Order: sequence, then C-alpha cells, then structure tokens
Amino acid sequence: MKVLQDIPVPKTFTIKNTDKVILEKWFYMMTLGRMIDEKAPNYLKQAIGWSYHAPYAGHDGIQLAIGQIFNRETDHLFPYYRDMLTNISAGLTGEEIILNGISKAADVTSGGRHMSNHIGKPEWNIHNVSSATGNHTLHAVGVARAIKYYKGKGVAISSQGESSVSEGYVYEAINGASTEELPVIFVFQDNGYGISVPKKDQTANRKVANNFSGFKNLRIIHCNGKDVFDSINAMTEAKKWSLENQQPCIVQANCIRIHAHSNSDRHDLYRNDAELGYVQESDPLLKFKRMLLRYERFTDEEILAIEAKAKEELKVAHRNALASPDPDPASIYDFVIPEPYPASKYPEGLHNFSGEKKKLIEGLNETLKAEFRLNPDTFIWGQDIANKDKGGIFNVSKGLQKEFGTARVFNGPIAEDFITGTANGMSRYSKKIRIVVEGAEFADYFWPAMEQYVEMTHEYWRTNGKFSPNVTIRLASGGYIGGGLYHSQSTEGALATFPGIRVVYPSFADDAAGLLRTSLRSEGPTLFLEPKALYNSPAAATPIPDDFEVPFGKARIRREGTDLSIITYGNTTHLSLKVAERLSGEGFNLEVIDIRSLIPLDKETIINSVKKTGRVLVVHEDKVFGGFGGELAGMIGEEAFEFLDAPVRRVGSAFTPVGFNRILEAAILINEEKIYAAALALLKY
Amino acid sequence: MKKIGLFYSFGSKKTAKIAGIVYNSFSGDDVQLINVDEVKKEKFLEFDNLIVGVPTWFDGELPNYWDELLPALEEIDFSNKRVAIFGLGDQKGYTENFCDAIGIMATFLEERGALIVGKTAVEGYTFEGSKAVRDGQFVGLPLDQENQARLTNGRIEYWVGNLKKEFI
Ligand SMILES: Cc1cc2nc3c(=O)[nH]c(=O)nc-3n(C[C@H](O)[C@H](O)[C@H](O)COP(=O)(O)O)c2cc1C
Ligand SMILES: Cc1ncc(C[n+]2csc(CCOP(=O)(O)OP(=O)(O)O)c2C)c(N)n1
Repeated sequence: MKVLQDIPVPKTFTIKNTDKVILEKWFYMMTLGRMIDEKAPNYLKQAIGWSYHAPYAGHDGIQLAIGQIFNRETDHLFPYYRDMLTNISAGLTGEEIILNGISKAADVTSGGRHMSNHIGKPEWNIHNVSSATGNHTLHAVGVARAIKYYKGKGVAISSQGESSVSEGYVYEAINGASTEELPVIFVFQDNGYGISVPKKDQTANRKVANNFSGFKNLRIIHCNGKDVFDSINAMTEAKKWSLENQQPCIVQANCIRIHAHSNSDRHDLYRNDAELGYVQESDPLLKFKRMLLRYERFTDEEILAIEAKAKEELKVAHRNALASPDPDPASIYDFVIPEPYPASKYPEGLHNFSGEKKKLIEGLNETLKAEFRLNPDTFIWGQDIANKDKGGIFNVSKGLQKEFGTARVFNGPIAEDFITGTANGMSRYSKKIRIVVEGAEFADYFWPAMEQYVEMTHEYWRTNGKFSPNVTIRLASGGYIGGGLYHSQSTEGALATFPGIRVVYPSFADDAAGLLRTSLRSEGPTLFLEPKALYNSPAAATPIPDDFEVPFGKARIRREGTDLSIITYGNTTHLSLKVAERLSGEGFNLEVIDIRSLIPLDKETIINSVKKTGRVLVVHEDKVFGGFGGELAGMIGEEAFEFLDAPVRRVGSAFTPVGFNRILEAAILINEEKIYAAALALLKY
Repeated sequence: MKKIGLFYSFGSKKTAKIAGIVYNSFSGDDVQLINVDEVKKEKFLEFDNLIVGVPTWFDGELPNYWDELLPALEEIDFSNKRVAIFGLGDQKGYTENFCDAIGIMATFLEERGALIVGKTAVEGYTFEGSKAVRDGQFVGLPLDQENQARLTNGRIEYWVGNLKKEFI
C-alpha cells in the first residue's frame, strides 16, 4: 500500500517570499478576528446576546488557512463553532460575524435561529452546521460525492476539533471518503481538549489523525495550526492533492486553546498556571506579528495602521449590528419544511384508472424507474441496493442499477448514519438533485441514523429557508412477517415527533406509487414508510395510472360509512377494511380512512368523518403507548369534541418489543379480532 | 579546539539550566553563551563549533524562538561547521514525538552544510517515535528532566567528552 502520510509538504509560502499585499490581508483579518473574539464576551456581560462564544485564539494559523484556500465558486466549507476566523478569512465581514453573534434577523447564517458562533453563509457554500460535534463530516463527504459525480472543480472542507473525532460518524465519514475516493479535506484543529477532557481520554494516539493511517486512499498531513505559513502550506497542499488525486485528506493542525472552552467554562478549574502561562506565550497572532517585523516585511507604523483599520471596521460593525432588527416572533413557522410539489394532476390523490392490478412493490419499483428516467439528477443508495439481479433487500430497486448505472444507483456500507448523512450532504450541491435512500434494510435498523435524521429535520428551519435536503428516506416497516426484533417493529411513533420532515405510510400500491412520485419531485425531506408485509400482497395490489401522484396531507376514504370512523394507515388499513366488512354483515356501516400521510395530516377529512359518524376508532400497528394514534386522538378530542358521541379509542400493538415466535408476534401485534372488539364496543357505547 | 558558540534561549526554563551544566563541563573560556531570543544571524558565522539547545514543544514542534529564527538562518552556509544539538523532552508524556526538535534542527542544519556531531545511542530511553532518531541513533543528546533527571549529568559529561574529540 502506498503510504500517503510521509509525503512532504512544499514550503510554498514563507515569511520572506509571500507577497506583501497578501501578508497585509492576512494580518488584517487575523487582527479583526481577534478583536471580535475578545470583544464577544462583552455582549453577554451587557446582556445583548452572544451567550455562546467559543474563542478561537490559538487556532489562528489553521483557521486563516482554511478560509484562504476556500473558493466559494467551487468548494464547500463546513466550519465548526470555533471557526470564527475561518469565516472571516473566507470572506465574511466583521458585521456579519457580530450579527450572527447577537442573533439578529439579518444574520446570514440563520437569521438568529441557530446558536451564536455557528457561523456560515449558505449562499457561498459556507454551510450552517449542527451543534452536534462533527456530524457535518458526513455532509462534507456527501457533497464531495456530488462534486466528483458532476466533475466539479472543487473540494469539500470539513473542520472540527480533535476530540469530536471520537464520534462514530466521523469514522464512518472518513471510511466512506476513502472507499469512494472523494475530494474532501477533514481538518482536525487539535487544541488538546474537548471542553475539560484532555485528549488522552479520547483516543490512544496523541494525534488522532494517525488513527486513520490504515485507511486506503487517504493522505494525512500534520501542521502547526499556530503558525500561519505552516498552516497555509498544509492546506494548500491538501487541496491541491485532493483535487489532483480526487481523494480525501486529513489535516491535523496542532493548536492551543488560549482561553476557556466557551464562556460557560472555567478553565482554571482544570489547567494549572504554568499551562495558562505558556499558552498565552504561544499566541499565534503575536508570533505572526513578530515575524512581520523581524523580517522587515512591515514597519511598526504599518502594523499600527492595519490595527487601526481593523478597529475602525469593528466600531462600525458593532454600531450597525446593534441597530439591526431582532427576528420577528411571528416568523417561527416560516421555513419548517418547503412547499411540496403540488401534485395537481390528481389534486385529491384519487383516480378512476382501471388497468391491470399491480403489486405495491411494482408500484414503487416502476415509479422509481419512471422518475429516474425523467430526472437525470436522481440518485439512490442503501444497503443491498444493487448487485447483479438483487435490487434492495426486498428487491424494490430491482433493475435500477442496470438501467441507470452504478454512479446513480449503488450500495452503501452498513452504516445507516452514513447513508442518511451523505444524502443530506450530497443534496447541497444543487437544488435539482433528488435523492432516495433506503435508510436501513429494515426500518428498525434505522436507529443508528437517528442523529442524521434529526439533522435532516433541522436544516431548512435552521438555515432560515436557505437549504433543504431534498431526500426521500425509504424504510421497509412493520411486522407480520415473523421477523422478530429489529425486523418487525414500527418506528413512526418516534420518527413523526420531529418538525421538519414529511411522514407518509401508504397501504395500497397506487398510493405508494403516487406518494413516491410526489416525494421525488418535492423539495425537503420525506420519510417514506413502506408496509413490507404488503409488498407482494394481492390485497394491496391496485391499478396504477402511469402518471399517478398523491399530494401530501390528503387522506383517502377507503370505505364510506356512517356509524363509526376508523382512522388508520399502513398494514392496519387492510385489517380495518376486513373488520368493516365483517361488521357490515352485522348491520353496522363503518367508514375507513387511510390517512396516507401522517405529516402533514389531513385534519379536514378526519373531522368531516367524525361529524358524520360521531364515533372514532384510531387503529395502527405501532404501539398504542407513544404511537402516532395519540396525536390523532388528541387532535380529534380537541377539534371535534362536540361531534363525538363516544370517547375516542385506540388500538395498536402491545407496549413490548415484537417477538420472533409467531405465537408471540400474534399476541403482540394488533389483529382483526382486537380491532373488531374495540369497534363493536364503540358502536355499542 | 576553537571557540564554541552555545546557542539557546536565555528565557527558557529547563533548557537554560541544562545549558549551564554544559557550559560548566567545558573549561571556562572555551564556550560563549548566546541568547537566541535576540540573536542576529551573523553571530552563527562567528563559530566553527556550535552547540544548539532546543527543547521539543507541543507534540513535536520547535519552540517559537527557534521557529521564528530559522528563516533568518536559511541562507547561512554551515559547511565547515560542526554542530552538536542537545534537546529536552519527555519520553513518557510525549512518547510519539520524543525530542523531535533535535531531528528537525539537525535536518535543517545539515541541509545547509553542517556536520552534525555529538550523536548518541538510543539505549536507556523508552519511547515510541522520534524525529531525532536516524540510522538507529540520536542525532544529538536527548535529556529528559521529567523522567530521567538523575541521568542528566552523566549523559552530559559523556557527551561533552565526545564533543571535545569531535569539535575542531
Ligand atoms: C505543552 C508541552 C508539549 C510538549 N511536547 C513535547 C514533545 O512533543 N516531545 C517531547 O519530547 N517533549 C515535549 N514536552 C516536554 C518538554 O520538552 C520538556 O518539558 C522540556 O524540559 C521543556 O524545556 P524548556 O523548559 O526549556 O522549554 C512538552 C512539554 C509541554 C509543556
Ligand atoms: C454530539 C455532541 N456531543 C456533545 C456535545 C457537547 N460539546 C460541545 S463542544 C464539545 C467539545 C468538543 O471538543 P473538540 O472537538 O476537541 O473541539 P474544541 O471545542 O476543543 O475546539 C462537546 C463535548 C456536542 N456539542 N455534540
């Protein structure tokens, strides 16, 4: 194996040869940055804001370097919460930094929605990243995948501290970048601490980058992050190398943390005086200034003039930022999720087509193919997505790779967070892109991806509408297959609690096809839950118009009735229809509503049904406790109480995991008998 | 033996102490002490025998006073000069970068023609990695005040004994 760690880094920039104009620019930005870094705590003291500030002093060299090599036309940058100078060096003004710090409406990162110090500028591809340390490594890998696919001229740059490299998803990210050979630079700014935890408690190597020395296709560069030239040379080389080789690179920058972790941390509780002293003495800004003078690149007067200019920018920036308006509390519901594709061909999501019946799995497969033919910027990946004749763990994606190739249809590693997180990342490259992921082989294997799922739901709101991941997460859900734990459970009760994602759960082939088409044409994320027990079920098979589309938030009355409304979705739509049929033989006329989408929810159809019947049974496969039915029952109780003649009742599974033995499964999951008993009791109430 | 220039930072802590011991191991006027905190590059030209004192800092780095000085020394011709390097380090705390600075300095000076003298054996130290090791020996004298302080005097004495033979 080629050892990529020991390749020397050329000393392109030195104190002697660097153009004076460049040196002046660097010193100016470093001075301005440091002035803001030092002033930030005052805003908190004066109760103006900036309650979270993680000072960057001690990381000056590497941050300057990251910003300098970043090209907003071609690259994508993911700075972390300590990267203030990175942002300034990438082009943000002092005013923009302060607007972010004190959370004003004009904050370019998020309009005051995101925590202070999480600085970015999405329109320049400086991404607004999460507070969850290091999870943007997956986004950087995802966007690098797009850069490579579209033959872009840039790189993705992710930046973080050394301690957060301990997060498993960082390893997933670097593994993926190495496997796929992607142009992404991972910068680790090593200041020796994660808050108060010394790095020896994070990993055995003092330089965590060396943990990755066995990864193939990965260059590792170490540099002195306190030194401007060493950092610039390292980043310049990293970028050049990643571009030329289309492979990833880690840059580990040796830094110091001069101050406490943040303004809520007291570092004198865990650092002694000697240490507090030597970090002060090693101040990178002072070192740079000494070098500029020692090597006679600037005179004292010139230095003073630059410092005065920075002070003046800060003064004006401060004044303007203070005068800038706060965000409007009425705006909180803006940008929770983008407007979906209108699906106006079938505005109610209904059709009268009467062709041959297709199975649910065919509906999904054919819709995927049709949409992939229509939109060349579509991609799908997941575990077991494609290998020869296999297409997805349940064969939903069969034939896709053959038709659309391995660049658009491919296997992911067994790393659900990676599968989901890189989708979020890749969709940043262009608004045109639509991504489908099989988030996990079975829905209940999706839990490792929870962190990226949550992230997906935050993006649009947190960026104040500047970015939404256009991703459909497909999950084969539910039980009735004798699958046991991790193969049979329902997840929507948990997954529908996050604002910022649509959740749909069709139960018939046509709705599955129609909702999938709408998801694939919409902006924003959609969680697409598929009742795997129905993939091949004749009961779920229907005729499907070729162009069928179902708008989000449109329930479908699967059976009209007057005596009792069953509100349901997924597998239990079919059970409920059977119960309705059986009860019709006993003289009762039940209405069965398949809500199809949980979020957004078609309240109107539900309430109209309640008005008609006065009795409601909420039925789903998920556990009653903590299931989505609680929301349905709550909503009906609150908004339709006066139309009710009986309490709203719920049936669902037991509050246990789902057992493997068929006898246990049957006892735990909901069945016709349980629905029948509950319906009868309500009818007689 | 010609006069020796002993270059180190007067402002350093342990290195300065060790420099004193080295100084005393030679007879009084053989050695001139030079403070690298404020030295001019021309000073290096005055000597054919040099001793350089350089501790390792921050996981394998030169201390700032050396790092900031090196660009000035880039164009100096060190050929015909013999340079011995001693360096402080901590083989337990920083076992992956033990006394790296010795190696960094040696490479820099060699690239400019210097003949490195005062190499020492690796026996007696326990560490994982060091830029100071080349061909199985240290290209200078590592001293570890954190873990092996009581060996320091003996090590210096032996080293100086050899230097007296290697210097011109
Ligand atoms: C923050 C810090 C980093 C250090 N890094 C190293 C190192 O990488 N390798 C090493 O051998 N010693 C390292 N040391 C140990 C010092 O070299 C040692 O304490 C030396 O005696 C300091 O000398 P001085 O007081 O003259 O600067 C480090 C010490 C500190 C405080
Ligand atoms: C997932 C997650 N866990 C914990 C935290 C709390 N936290 C915030 S900063 C931090 C330390 C990170 O240290 P490091 O990555 O070394 O970066 P540094 O702050 O030192 O620059 C921690 C643990 C978090 N933000 N996200």
